[in-house]
Formats: sequence, structure tokens, C-alpha cells
Amino acid sequence: MSRFFNSLRDGVGFDLLLVGAAMLFLIALAGAPLIYNVLMSFQQVDMFTLGALMRPFVGFDNYVAVVRQPEFWLVTRNTLIFVVGSMTGQFVLGFALALFFAQKFPGAATIRGLFLVSWVMPGLVVGAIWSWILAGDFGVLNVILRSLGLIQSNIFWKSDPNFSIWAVIIANIWLGLAFNMLLLSVGLAAIPRDLYEAAELDGANAFQRFWTITLPMMRSTIGAVLSLGLIGTLQQFDLFPALTEGGPANTSNVAGYWSWQLSFQLYDFAKGATVSVMMFLLVLIASVVYVRSTRHEVRG
Amino acid sequence: MTRPYTPWLLVTVALALAAIYLFPLYWMYVTSLKSGSEIFANPPTFWPRSPDPSVYPAVWVRRTMPVYLWNSVVIASGVTAITVILGTGCAYVLARYRNGWIDVGLFCVLMLQVLPASVMITPLFVGFNQVGLLGSPRLAVVLAAAAKAMPFFVVLVRATFMSVPRELEEAALVDGNSRIGAFFFIVLPLARNGILVCAILTFMSAFGEYIYSKSIIQDPGLQPASVGLSGFLGPNSTDWNSIMAYSAIYVTPILAIFVLLQRRIVAGLTSGALK
Repeated sequence: MSRFFNSLRDGVGFDLLLVGAAMLFLIALAGAPLIYNVLMSFQQVDMFTLGALMRPFVGFDNYVAVVRQPEFWLVTRNTLIFVVGSMTGQFVLGFALALFFAQKFPGAATIRGLFLVSWVMPGLVVGAIWSWILAGDFGVLNVILRSLGLIQSNIFWKSDPNFSIWAVIIANIWLGLAFNMLLLSVGLAAIPRDLYEAAELDGANAFQRFWTITLPMMRSTIGAVLSLGLIGTLQQFDLFPALTEGGPANTSNVAGYWSWQLSFQLYDFAKGATVSVMMFLLVLIASVVYVRSTRHEVRG
Repeated sequence: MTRPYTPWLLVTVALALAAIYLFPLYWMYVTSLKSGSEIFANPPTFWPRSPDPSVYPAVWVRRTMPVYLWNSVVIASGVTAITVILGTGCAYVLARYRNGWIDVGLFCVLMLQVLPASVMITPLFVGFNQVGLLGSPRLAVVLAAAAKAMPFFVVLVRATFMSVPRELEEAALVDGNSRIGAFFFIVLPLARNGILVCAILTFMSAFGEYIYSKSIIQDPGLQPASVGLSGFLGPNSTDWNSIMAYSAIYVTPILAIFVLLQRRIVAGLTSGALK
């Protein structure tokens, strides 16, 4: 017994205790729910069986029912548009800003740091602010676009079925842009300067230097940033209740918000669990890419 | 090589870009200072005609903000406490060794980092219901949000521990310290700053937590400020100066902390998130 306590105080037992406590906590509150989620997606869950663990099994009925929902394909399409649109916007704008702030000028780091403000703000507040900026009649974005001559009449971002998903995408690009820029800046700073000097001596122009040095040297960073962007976009939830609530008529609904609506507005926990299992599979693919692209860096 | 005027041109462009990017924040403050009719002026005024902060105390009282903000602080403190206490030790061990088991542990942590809250909320809610945790909803939210925050914390703090020289800990062990002694008196003090920055980041993100609180906490007296804000926010909201005043009161403390600690936060993120 005393050997046991000695090991806790002064041996490998100490490590096991430290890592074990955290792992137990994570298994109880993340691992177990995940498995439970899969279990629920094969069960019939209603108000009467909500408190029981062993409910009647229904096989793949929930999956069939979810796919047959009239909004299923609309939500799938929206999820794809949301993911691709947000990731493209965040990455392209983030990369452009990172390249700009990689120039040497006084205050570059401080001004760049200010951009990260968006990253620490609560998602719901960001949603509220954009909801006001994007408002159809009195929103400031419409006024700016009109005065620039880009649009003739007001766009009803949040209530026009053609634009509602783009309203959320715009807000999400704003939210994730800064983090993308920061990570890409780190990657840019790691490229040795003399490569550029050598290329310049050889007569490569700015575009050639970008294409043949910057992009290849940034490959692992870009992989990590893109997969983190995918994961971050799939995790996005707060903007939906703040901006459109998935509407009008589900034209801006995505898998994550739909799953929540099924569970907590329609109290159909089985279908909610089913949608979230489907979404989890998507996240799994993204995270495998992410872990592969950061693996050597994480192992240090 | 560089012409003397180029840096100042770049600074101007940089400031302009920052101004465009931060315009939404400016718009929040400006809108909250406008009167009810000026909000709907066409074209909108970019500076309030007569700045009027009277909406702040009104919203503060009418929306029972002290209750909401207090709940946010309680939840964020709980999340931070659990995350720091459990996560620091885990990060330390994951940074100390290199073997197959550590790789497996790291892989699990990274996988947990990517789980969307919207995937986890359904099973957590049903599970909490069965265990009876829904009776103390704030505790339930704290537990759920801590599990969400911990993987990110572990990844960042692990990078901090990696930068603490191993030799210092070994020297302490040779001098007769126990592992506990070396951990608490040598390693932790050296990693203190990194842990502090990560703890602040955890607190700030838990302060804005929404989905778990919205789903689990039904009693308005226990809900955090994010849920309070969602109460008068929707696709058809019109009460914009109150909403913006509420938002301003909510985020100003976070923004102040961020601006004060910006340098450290950015450094902590860049060392941990990717490298």
C-alpha cells in the first residue's frame, strides 16, 4: 500500500493520476455521450422512454425517416454551401491579409493583433451585430452597397430565400477570418528570407516567388488551416439563432442547427441524434485530415 | 533599398483595413448611442446627432442584466476552474514523454477538440436527464462546456510545457525533490504565464457560451447573458439600440481584457495552435 502512495507521489503513478483524471472526465462527458448518441440513433425515443437506457430498437428507421424528411436535401445542400463559402472566404481573405501584414512596417504586429478581436467575441453578439448590419430596410450594408452602385434596390439578406444562407456566411467569414490570418502569418514567418533573396537575384518576379516559394513552403500550414476552417465551420452554431433561425423555410438551415431544432424544438431526440451522427461522420473525415497535417508538428 | 515613403503608405493601408474590419464593432457602439428614431434614418448617420447613453441603464434594469451577467461569470469560472485543474496535469504528462501511448492520448484529445457542440448536446441532454443533473442546470452546463474547452486548453498548454527545459526538472529531482515537489515548485512556476493566458482564453470563450445553456437551463434566473440576449433577438427584431446596448455591455469587458493582453494572447496562440 505504501508503495502505491509512493508511486503516486514520486513515480509513474503521478503521471497516471494527472493524465487519468483528465481522461476520465473527457470520457465521461465527451466519449460516452458520443457512443450514447449512436445508440439513440437506432432507438425509438419519445417522452415515455426518455428516462430509460434500453429503449425499443428500430434499426435504421430513424435514418430512413431523416432522409425522407422534405428538408433533408435542402439542409445538405445548405451545409455544403455554408462550408465551402465560409472556408473559401476565410481562407482567401485571411491569406491576402497575412501576406499584406508580412511586409515590414511599424506597428504591423499590433494592428494585426487587433483583428483577433472578432475571435474572442461571443458568437451570439457577433450574430446580433451582423443581424443589424444586414437588416433589409435600414441595414447599413445595403446603404453602402447602394452608394457604391453595386445594387439598385435593397437586398433582404435575412428574409430572401436566395440570400439567407449568404447572410450567415458573411458573418461567419468575418468571425473566422482573423484566426485564419493569424495561423497563416505564423506559417509565412517560418519561410527563410534568403530563399526570396536568391529567387530575386535569379530574376523571379513577385508572382513567381509566391507561386514557387510561398505556396510550396506553406503546404502543411495550408492543410492545417483548411481542415481547422472546415471543423470551425461545422462547429458554428450561434450565428444561426441570432441571424435567421434557419429560415425562411429552412433555406439557411444547416445540419448542426437542424439537429438542435429536431431535438429541442420538436423534441424528436431520436432524429436529432441521427442527424448529429451523420454530421459527426463528416467531422471525423475532416479531423483525420487535420491530425495528419499537424501530426509531425504536434509531436514536436 | 526600400523607398522612405513606402512604410507610411503601408501603415495607412493597414489602418484602413483594420478600420473596415472593425466597423461592425464601431457600428454596435454608435447604434447604441442613437435615439430610437435616428436608428431608422435614411441615409443612416455614421456619427450620432446627439449621443444619448440613457439606453444603457434602461437596458441594464429592464433586461435584468446583473442576474444574467452574474450567471455568465459563475458558469465561466466553473468551466475555467475545471479546465485548468484537470487540463494542466494532462498537458504536462503529454509534454513530458514521447511514446506510443502519448500519441494515442494526443490523438484522442485532438479528436475531442473537433466535436461540434451541436453534435454533443442531444446525448448530453438526454444523459443528464437520466442522471438527474438537470436539477442543477448550471452545474450541468459547466461540466458540458468544460469538456468542450479542455482539449483546446491541453493542446495550447502542452506547447508551453514543451518550452520548459527538461534539465531544470531533472536537476530538482537529483536534488531530492519528489515528482510532486518538482512539478509544483519548478515546472508550474516556469509555465505560469502560458497557463494564465490559456485560462483567460478559456474564460472568455465560456463567458460567451450559448448552445448548452440555451438547451439545458430553463429557469431565467439561472441563464447566462448569451441566452438573455437571444430572448429579444430574432429575424424580426426591431429594438436595435437596446440590442446593441446589451451587446456592448456584454462584450466590453472581454474586449478590454483582450486589448490589454493582446500581445501575450497572440504569442500564446501562435506558439501552441500550430507549431
